Amino acid sequence: MRSLDVEVTESARLYGDTHVLWMTRPPHLANATPGQFVMVYIGEHTDPLLGRAFSIHRTREGEQGPEFAVLFDVVGRGTEWLSRREPGDAVRVVGPLGRGFEPRERVQRMLLVGGGIGCAPLIWLADRLIEEGREVTLLLGGRTEAQIFPAAQLPPAVELIATTEDGSLGTRGLVTKPFEELLPWSDQVFACGPNRMFEAMHDVARRSGLRKPIQALLEGTMACGMGICYSCAVFPRRGGVRLICTDGPMFDLRDLY
Amino acid sequence: MAHVDLSVTLAAGQKQELRLRNPVMVASGTFSNGIEFAKRFDVDELGAIVSKGTTLRPRRGNPVPRTVETPSGMINSIGFQNVGVGTLVSEVAPVWARWQAPVLVNIMGETLAEYGQLAQRLDGVPGVAGLEVNISCPNVEAGGLEFGQDPLLAADVTREVRRHTALPMSVKVTPGVTDLRPIVAAVSDAGADAITVMNTVPAMAIDVRARRPVLATAFGGLSGPAVKPIALRLVYLAASVTNLPILAAGGVSSGLDAVEFLMAGASAIQVGTATFRDPQAPWKVLAELREWCEREGVSSIGEIVGVARRRD
Ligand SMILES: Cc1cc2nc3c(=O)[nH]c(=O)nc-3n(C[C@H](O)[C@H](O)[C@H](O)COP(=O)(O)O)c2cc1C
Ligand code: FES
Repeated sequence: MRSLDVEVTESARLYGDTHVLWMTRPPHLANATPGQFVMVYIGEHTDPLLGRAFSIHRTREGEQGPEFAVLFDVVGRGTEWLSRREPGDAVRVVGPLGRGFEPRERVQRMLLVGGGIGCAPLIWLADRLIEEGREVTLLLGGRTEAQIFPAAQLPPAVELIATTEDGSLGTRGLVTKPFEELLPWSDQVFACGPNRMFEAMHDVARRSGLRKPIQALLEGTMACGMGICYSCAVFPRRGGVRLICTDGPMFDLRDLY
Repeated sequence: MAHVDLSVTLAAGQKQELRLRNPVMVASGTFSNGIEFAKRFDVDELGAIVSKGTTLRPRRGNPVPRTVETPSGMINSIGFQNVGVGTLVSEVAPVWARWQAPVLVNIMGETLAEYGQLAQRLDGVPGVAGLEVNISCPNVEAGGLEFGQDPLLAADVTREVRRHTALPMSVKVTPGVTDLRPIVAAVSDAGADAITVMNTVPAMAIDVRARRPVLATAFGGLSGPAVKPIALRLVYLAASVTNLPILAAGGVSSGLDAVEFLMAGASAIQVGTATFRDPQAPWKVLAELREWCEREGVSSIGEIVGVARRRD
């Protein structure tokens, strides 16, 4: 949990308005799993003050050793600053943090569902699952084509199904409909996206009566990312309170709704 | 390099005198109960740990959003999410008992009687080295802040806690008053062993697009570097009306910040929001403070406490 300076190795707009930032991977990030996140601290001074949480998007072997990436849309001062980092720049990070996805052993058909920038952690999960020899269907939804992660960047074995709200790519509409069709096929479901997507998926799953586990990565307002500020509360339907950053960010949807 | 004596004593000469090996503490609510951090960092190097604000019964806290970032600061309205004093005593205190660093439990009652009950439950519990009595939380409907805005009520709370425990106790005050001095004077006379200055500054932020407050509770408390000048002045003022040690909180992020507070009259400092930006912040503040003392030829921290004060 020590904060460390890492070096930017590549910074690029990958598609639409979505950036990817590759950095050298500190040794203790080697054991990270898909769904875990890092806190990235913005600027050298105190404004902006707080770190930003990013899912680990991917890892790779770079020229100077292992690297990891974060994927983001420029939505505020933090991501704007981050999008201007160049190779050689230092960025301070803490991680890996939180509890990531937990694919079950000996199951084969993996359904990954992402909304918008929620695809970020699913790409790494897909990489891993394909390496393990499993079947992966990646269902991605966005407002428009520019928001859909490019198929060319995925392992060829991944089956990509896209939906867009304006119909510019794939089926027109939300991910909910193809999700309903694919649910019976799947052994396990992993999701990341906005809360209303989770609610819709939970509804579909409940109505199906199939009792399929859905592991969802939750987002919430974070100040520390390390379980010390209690900013990131989530209130499960059955009572109590959990922290997204340490109890999650991965939760079984049935434990929440 | 000459050895610097960084130690600080609270409740000096009393039965439960509390000696801190150095003046760097962590602030309540910014370190949880320290259990997770203690697995990764050496908490025993710190002067003291202050627990998350603890109430008689467990609380789920306020709805979200609970925090919002502001220029060089943040506003929070956590609302005392905590496990309650029962679980704290049975599950958390036994872990603290294995640490060398003393732990002060930050307590908040909704009524006067609850403050007494909390003190009683914590008295004599191994692992609990002292209390920090919160009469300054802006984020709950009942209790907290209202006790901290009236010198008579503040003194009542102090006496009620004192009646139920011999533990060293610091009373934590709010910047949300016109004049802090009568309150500091009143709690000093009522039996406090130290004064914590200060809690967060009442504040809010508006979401322009949604046309409503950002925080679910509308108001919260501002903390971080933005409030440091406010806290410094209040420490300076408090030191003019009490001889008790002052524990300073408000934007401390570096060794030099700590030095400023010590010069204003604080005996110890608490690192709060800075830890959110860097988990090692309390240890860095300590290392920088020690280096500064060595560089400046300060051999004991007492030499600089209050030196910036006008002697008139
Ligand atoms: C997220 C958060 C939670 C806090 N919770 C408590 C609390 O439970 N009890 C308390 O007395 N003060 C609480 N505080 C106030 C801090 O202990 C401290 O007095 C204040 O934040 C100023 O110091 P700082 O600027 O270094 O954070 C909290 C502050 C923050 C930011
Ligand atoms: S973000 Fe601070 S506790 Fe989760």
